[in-house]
Amino acid sequence: MKKILIANRGEIAVRVIRACRDMGIATAAVYSECDRAALHVRLADEAWPVGPSAPRESYLRIDAIIDAAKKAGADAVHPGYGFLAENEDFAAACRDAGLTFIGPSPEAIALMGSKTAARQAAIKAGVPVVPGTEEPLGDRESDAEVQKVAERVGYPLMLKAVAGGGGKGMRMVASPADLASALRAARSEAQSAFGDGAVYLERRIMSPRHIEVQLLGDHHGTVLPFVERECSIQRRHQKVVEESPSLAVSPELRRRMTAAAASVAKAVGYTNAGTIEFLLDERGSFYFLEMNTRLQVEHPITEMVTGVDLVQWQIRIARGERLDLDPEALLTPKAHAIECRIYAEDPDNGFLPSPGRIQGLRVPHGPGVRDDSGAYEGGDVPIFYDPMISKLITWGDTREHAMQRMRRALAEYQVRGIRTTIPFFQWLLEDADFKAARFDTGFIDRKLGKDPAGHGEPPRAPMQAIDATHEDLAAIAAAVHLFTKPIMNGVAAPAASRWRDAGRTEALR
Amino acid sequence: MIFEVAIGNRVRTVGIVRKGAMLHVDLDGRPHIVDARRVNDSMVSMLVQLDGARATSRSVDAAFAAQPTAGDFDVHLDGLTIPVQIRPAGSVGRQKKDGPASPPAGPQRVVAPMPGKVVRVLVKAGDLVRARQGLVVVEAMKMENELRAARDGRVRDVAAAEGQSVDAGALLLIVE
Repeated sequence: MKKILIANRGEIAVRVIRACRDMGIATAAVYSECDRAALHVRLADEAWPVGPSAPRESYLRIDAIIDAAKKAGADAVHPGYGFLAENEDFAAACRDAGLTFIGPSPEAIALMGSKTAARQAAIKAGVPVVPGTEEPLGDRESDAEVQKVAERVGYPLMLKAVAGGGGKGMRMVASPADLASALRAARSEAQSAFGDGAVYLERRIMSPRHIEVQLLGDHHGTVLPFVERECSIQRRHQKVVEESPSLAVSPELRRRMTAAAASVAKAVGYTNAGTIEFLLDERGSFYFLEMNTRLQVEHPITEMVTGVDLVQWQIRIARGERLDLDPEALLTPKAHAIECRIYAEDPDNGFLPSPGRIQGLRVPHGPGVRDDSGAYEGGDVPIFYDPMISKLITWGDTREHAMQRMRRALAEYQVRGIRTTIPFFQWLLEDADFKAARFDTGFIDRKLGKDPAGHGEPPRAPMQAIDATHEDLAAIAAAVHLFTKPIMNGVAAPAASRWRDAGRTEALR
Repeated sequence: MIFEVAIGNRVRTVGIVRKGAMLHVDLDGRPHIVDARRVNDSMVSMLVQLDGARATSRSVDAAFAAQPTAGDFDVHLDGLTIPVQIRPAGSVGRQKKDGPASPPAGPQRVVAPMPGKVVRVLVKAGDLVRARQGLVVVEAMKMENELRAARDGRVRDVAAAEGQSVDAGALLLIVE
């Protein structure tokens, strides 16, 4: 493998470029119109345009990306996450074009991409799944038939899209009376989001934690699981903070969960990096939820607690190398790690997107801090893509140590010109329940006081704790800034001539 | 040089004069001494002696991001992002200030709050003016700042001319 084309953008494209550099492999980037000056383009050895800014016309264009790989003379393609990473047609197109797809086989992507097929695979492997329907409920199933199935599953239950993800096509149903309308809503949402209206039913697990297990599988039959990740801190079904290990998982439970994850992957002949997601209930029972057939956003926390470079191993596995890692070491955390996903959103304004130019950037450094970012000073956050601009990861000997470092790093982190979710994380890190690791997947939505029916968020105190002294200092700073700004130093010719021009305009009136 | 700084619902008045290497800052009547060093165009390192007390030096690393409206900034310090609106004194709506501002006694000397250009002179000598009526508009750093009458009176000694460049503190006119 001499040159890898990275079929992605943003921080994950930068992350993959770094892994390639570490291994002496050349890199080819792809970019859309608005990403011409993006960091991944600037850092890559070469870069190829793939179309206009809208994802559908560029980063989701299989033909354009295969074409770029051919022009670049790449011999492999890394899909990152999102975009085409879990698209079996893309993996197959790479294979057909003689390119190594750095990920699982198209067959594995297709199998685990169907939630009902994945559940059946888990059941065959002897892994518990959330009680529910094994067969998809298509449009032909009448409400009465679904009602019958629902009685068997038991209320409250969850309606989920078979092709789903990201919380779309998902509805909680509390009682039989709500079923018909929830079914209609979930089917139409699934149809428009995934082009497939099929849904299935699952019993609702009360107060679950979201725990997931990272896996690597090579082409020689070895599958190795890693220490679990705790991903219960979610906002509207999207993870925002992850940590590893989980305080809710004992060494004994870890052994059972990781063994279960590995057996599901082995049962489907899985290769490369993947993640098995579980729900963990209050009694310590766990249930298979789904498998992600790609590198995860939150992979760095696993890297920091095990010392394994997952992206490098993805490449080595794709080259046919054997996984010669010590399985015991992968299940023994050497540290505690936390990740905060920094979004270009204003947390004090209903998490409104805040795209625009980054006027200034100060990135935290020092012991126990890692910043995986696609941002730079003077760079733009475009409106077309996911608003995540970076991932801040800290680690330490204990959870408290990692959290204290996260507080320090967040205070050092300055993203000027746009608003980010940094104040949200500062607020979260002071929360007593978060500090005590008392949470489940509904934690953030409850803390933000979100209406369970999903009707927006009521007004609430600002997340930033700005006291009178900080306001005083900000007032002094602003005044000192203007007072000392070097605009009148004689050399400030532009300003002077602007006045002169204004004077002339005035005279002509 | 005097600024009015609005943060949230409160307006603070900040006066700054340079004395040797130090800036003497008056914040709503409380004196502070600031050793300010510019790090670059958008960052200032300040060592602040709050209330002028040498014993309480505080290092404040401040960075600024200009917002679309002239005079609006995000001030970044201590891990916080604090939106401020700053204007030379006299141009922020007085109704925002806490409590009624009592007009000073004697003639009002209207001076340029910062170096800039006189864009418009709205009155002429002998005019009767009412409190808060606009007198002169001075432009600097793309900001137009209307200087207003502190109270009712008659305009005397108009020293400002439209198009004229002025230094901070230059006398523009007097209202008595």
